Amino acid sequence: MHHEISPLVEFASEKLHILLLFMAAVYTLKIRWILLHTPGKDRQAPTGSPDTTGQRGAMYSLFNVAMPWAMPSTRKHKMFYAEFVVFHIGVACSIAMSIVFSYAPVLISGSAAVLTLQIVFASAAVVGLLRFIRRVTVPVMRLISTPDDIFSVALLTVWLVFSFLMAGQAPAFAVAKGQLEASSSIGALQETPVVVYYFITSFFLMYVPFSKISHYIYYPFSRWYLGRTLGHRGVYPMKQFGSEANADFLS
Amino acid sequence: MPTKTRSPRAEKVVELMKTKCKNRQIMLSLAACVHCGMCTDQCHYVLANPDDPSYAPAAKADKIRKLFKAHIDWTGRAVPWWVGAKSVYTDEELEDLMDTVFGKCTGCRRCSIVCPMGVDMAVFNGMARNLLYSVGIMPEGVRHVAKDQWEIGNQMGVLREDYLDTLEWMEEELQNKHNDPSIKIPVDKVGADIMYVINPREAKYDPRSIADAAEIFHFAGVNWTMPSEGWDMTNFGLFVGDPALGGACSKRLYDAAHRLGVKKVVISECGHGYRSTRCEGQNWAGMDVGFEMESVVITLLNWLKDGTIKVDKSRNSDPVTYHDSCNFARSCGMTEEPREVLKMVASEFREMYPNRAENFCCTGGGGAMSMSEYAPRRLKSAKIKAQQLKQTGAKTVVTSCHNCVDGLYDCIKEYDLGMQVTQLVNLTANALLVPARPVKVMESIKALYGKKVLVIDDEPDVRLFLTKIYAENGATVMDAPDANQGMRAIRDMRPDLVSLDLIMPHKTGEKLYWELRKDENYKDLPVVIVSGYAKVDKPKIDFDGFIREKDIPAPDGFIEKPIDPDKLIGTVCGILKVDKAGV
Repeated sequence: MHHEISPLVEFASEKLHILLLFMAAVYTLKIRWILLHTPGKDRQAPTGSPDTTGQRGAMYSLFNVAMPWAMPSTRKHKMFYAEFVVFHIGVACSIAMSIVFSYAPVLISGSAAVLTLQIVFASAAVVGLLRFIRRVTVPVMRLISTPDDIFSVALLTVWLVFSFLMAGQAPAFAVAKGQLEASSSIGALQETPVVVYYFITSFFLMYVPFSKISHYIYYPFSRWYLGRTLGHRGVYPMKQFGSEANADFLS
Repeated sequence: MPTKTRSPRAEKVVELMKTKCKNRQIMLSLAACVHCGMCTDQCHYVLANPDDPSYAPAAKADKIRKLFKAHIDWTGRAVPWWVGAKSVYTDEELEDLMDTVFGKCTGCRRCSIVCPMGVDMAVFNGMARNLLYSVGIMPEGVRHVAKDQWEIGNQMGVLREDYLDTLEWMEEELQNKHNDPSIKIPVDKVGADIMYVINPREAKYDPRSIADAAEIFHFAGVNWTMPSEGWDMTNFGLFVGDPALGGACSKRLYDAAHRLGVKKVVISECGHGYRSTRCEGQNWAGMDVGFEMESVVITLLNWLKDGTIKVDKSRNSDPVTYHDSCNFARSCGMTEEPREVLKMVASEFREMYPNRAENFCCTGGGGAMSMSEYAPRRLKSAKIKAQQLKQTGAKTVVTSCHNCVDGLYDCIKEYDLGMQVTQLVNLTANALLVPARPVKVMESIKALYGKKVLVIDDEPDVRLFLTKIYAENGATVMDAPDANQGMRAIRDMRPDLVSLDLIMPHKTGEKLYWELRKDENYKDLPVVIVSGYAKVDKPKIDFDGFIREKDIPAPDGFIEKPIDPDKLIGTVCGILKVDKAGV
């Protein structure tokens, strides 16, 4: 059994993380740039129900992405929302795996962990593929999609495929790292998926801050301000009356 | 490679955009979109035009976002094609942007509340409107209205004397109705508790709403007044995204309240007027006010609850539904109060779906009613509202917004729904319990009740006379002193009938009639000619030919002066297919 770590894998799994510093630096500048913009203020007394405030509205707004019942768009497209959840869980797991795999692969080397991760990555990759197809075939999506949008979803999908392959290498990598005893059930380390995965991850560290994928940097700000405004004006938290009937309309 | 030159207007738009985008909320809404498309089928324009992706909110937003990316976004400035960045260079491109931000979006904010990223499209759509407005690119109707609001002080160009005459006229109507000369519409009463401010549409086209509110205030026994200046609570600053205009309009009203020393400003039923006066105005004007402000909806609710006014809701026995104004529901959180009032003043309330903050736009928002060039588009998108209305099975739709009244009225007409549109103040006044309500007046208003008549005549006395006849028969009457203003009024109010004089300066009634009949939107608009024409006076004008021989349909009616009121009303009732004795 081949349980050695080649210099290339070692470089990919341990040295490329230095690019995180680059990402952090760009994000620091980006957040500073956002904060240089002046926030608008509401001078007027609050409107609407007294149980809505700017603060409550902001909190509601920040978390309503986790409340699919709160928006007509997510109520109407339940499957689309489920896909969104799966895709983002896949991406988050892969980001976490890129760190854990490098330094403590033993933590994800159990067969249950590997299987769970592979299911998550496979599901997320399928969603990514569906999103890619939707983006290039649905007229409205074609109209609004930029090369960055198409490239981002395509690359993430490829990355998730390699995440799937990479997860399967966790036991062998843990053995190679001396964190796990070798056994007959653990195959040889396949270097290609590991190297490709890390190089795509590294590319992301440089590309993401300049692409639409960095939307998570804007998210807390944009949702906070929308929520604060609509909370002050009594709209958020939104009241739900007959939401099912609302969702059914025109569906 | 030669540098592409920019037109002066495009240059100004770019420079102004850079300034506007220093606002954090605007910048974030432009930067945060991930093009997920979740907003697509939440917009009434998209639902009514499923085969045209250009109506998708994200696609419309991208017309503005491209500009932001080209000049402000980091990646867009370095690699524009990669993120779809594109600047503007020509006036034609600005016209194209105008077509989107004015003609394909009412700023209803429905896409904002369904956006997972919290992108507030209404905010930067308003910004884009302001950019175009600042370089003089805007729909013609918007130009007129904004100009009137700057110069005359109200968006419909109602002159001070006409406004005061209307108040006096409504005061007399109320006095006659109740046989009580003590009923007043107080003007500029210093130290009043309440100052009531209205939409100029009420003074010009719907004075009945003023009378209804005055009736309620009178029988509530409150100390109230209306200002002679600063009475317009609407604000085109909101529709053109211009804080300068918005601030000027708001300040005018706030100054009136300060001058009169009132405790509270009560704002009549108008979505954007309420939002502008109550919410945005102080921000635009950069001033704090020393009085309370509330919608008349809240006032009515409080008075109904504490017994200040009493009503008999069986007087409004038809099933009613409620349409949420976008500005009320999605920008000011006013969703429950109107429903509470409605349930207290009407016998049967039927909910509309979707409702409250999720309701669809009436299609008349964002100043759309003043943009006649986009009327066909607007009416097509009204299909969604028509479906909502039809599903309720109600006979009357109630709304707390004058724009919505007009938008819904058009929708009902276009889709032949056979419904009435009214407002809470009208229903409340109708249900109001007051001593000795005379039956005679109620009967006399039935024949043309709910109909809008536009009188176009250059002679003030004749205009007044005709207005009186139509109003006494229940119609809501507007007037215009010449054909040009008449055409504008037709676009603004979409009357049920036009009462048209022939001989007028500048442009004859004959020419206006031809224009109407050639216009796809107005070719079926009923017109009754009311003229004192005699062939010996004007031998050169071929009225006989106009009536009988031209290759256009003859007018629906012809009344010669001197006017016989009975004959006039008989003819009009025949044209509108209503019973003269009242139905």
